[in-house]
Amino acid sequence: MCANCGFPSAPGHWTEAGAATASERLRARFRRAELLRRILSPYGLTVHDDGIIPGMTVSTRSGHHEMVADLAELWSAVEHMCGRKFDPLDPAFTGPDGTAR
Amino acid sequence: MEPAADGRIRLTVLGGFLGSGKTTWLRHQLHRGSLRDAVIIVNEAAERPVDDALLARASRLLVLAGGCACCTGRDDLVELLRRLCDQRLGSDSRLATAKHIVLETSGLADPGPIVDAIRSDPILIHHIVVSEIVVTVDALNGLEQMRREPLSRQQVETADRLIVTKIDEAGFPAVRRLLATLAQLNPGAALSGAIMGGSTDLPDFAGVEPETLGEFSDEARGPIAAVRLDLWDAVDWTAFSLWLSALLHARGDEVMRVKGVVRTPAGRLLLQSVRKFVQQPEILPETGEEAGLDDNSVVFIGRGFTAEDLRRSLRYFAGEEEGSRWH
Repeated sequence: MCANCGFPSAPGHWTEAGAATASERLRARFRRAELLRRILSPYGLTVHDDGIIPGMTVSTRSGHHEMVADLAELWSAVEHMCGRKFDPLDPAFTGPDGTAR
Repeated sequence: MEPAADGRIRLTVLGGFLGSGKTTWLRHQLHRGSLRDAVIIVNEAAERPVDDALLARASRLLVLAGGCACCTGRDDLVELLRRLCDQRLGSDSRLATAKHIVLETSGLADPGPIVDAIRSDPILIHHIVVSEIVVTVDALNGLEQMRREPLSRQQVETADRLIVTKIDEAGFPAVRRLLATLAQLNPGAALSGAIMGGSTDLPDFAGVEPETLGEFSDEARGPIAAVRLDLWDAVDWTAFSLWLSALLHARGDEVMRVKGVVRTPAGRLLLQSVRKFVQQPEILPETGEEAGLDDNSVVFIGRGFTAEDLRRSLRYFAGEEEGSRWH
């Protein structure tokens, strides 16, 4: 947005815009890693974020791993590593009663 | 801008596909003061508007939400314009001085039926003259939208003036090809360029081969819908942005536009996406008691999903569904 007629933009990757202080950013990173581990577990993948080095590491159970800078890179890495499309609107995620259709 | 010579008030229709930069362009014109005397009408297909929060500089801003003015909301638009005409005749109204109306349509509107509705109304025809149809075209996504979406092509074909936006974000060869295609599709329209709403020069596209736009797929003929997702307390920004980034990665061609204000520890974030691209969130001010009433409500525009699909998927991502759905 134009510096004159817009409001200020949050810095960094857009997904990281919700934290204003260093402690909030750190807490958000750990929560993000925790959410990802649960979501990606059925895909045989895990995510590690040590809170120090920028970005995250995605690993397979066999030990193959890739470093990603942000979530945009992460979803590409997930598809590449597990060899299939990752779609949040897959019935496994949208099933009405908690079971895959 | 002066009223038309016959005393009728001028009306500019500002159209363009979802996320093509209509509000950004309008916001910049308001900042420059070039529409100081204009009444701005913002039409949104979604029930809850977002763009009005961005147009605070408008002296007279009216919002027509919950129906696209080219179809379901057409009667509401005509009624609103008739009311404006009545008020304009009243000497005590601030609208008595209005010389110009700008109607920002929703991104799902075909300007043609809107103009027809105004021109064929027996009352409005005496008060309002449609002076120009301005259509914004996104330099990044415009060509793809014209390939896939009949509506995008209709908008371009109807325009008197085409403003190619986000020129700095697309490479020059792509901009030249887009310009050549626009010139072929609507040879009569004036072409200009914009970056963040501000005017900029266009590259020379003489001799550039335009894209041959083919037939549309059956899928493209399906309706585009706007659905609203109200975020609940358990969904924080981390979970929501994680889910949305995955959704746009997988479904960026179907989830064409996302707009909303989400409250976070860093403030009220204005979230906007166009297909897979998410604009850097702006931090909106906390102003007055009215601000924040529509917070944590996000509109999704596109096809191939329902509000319930989105809600269930987000609930899973946010960790509310204990136990995996996978067996």
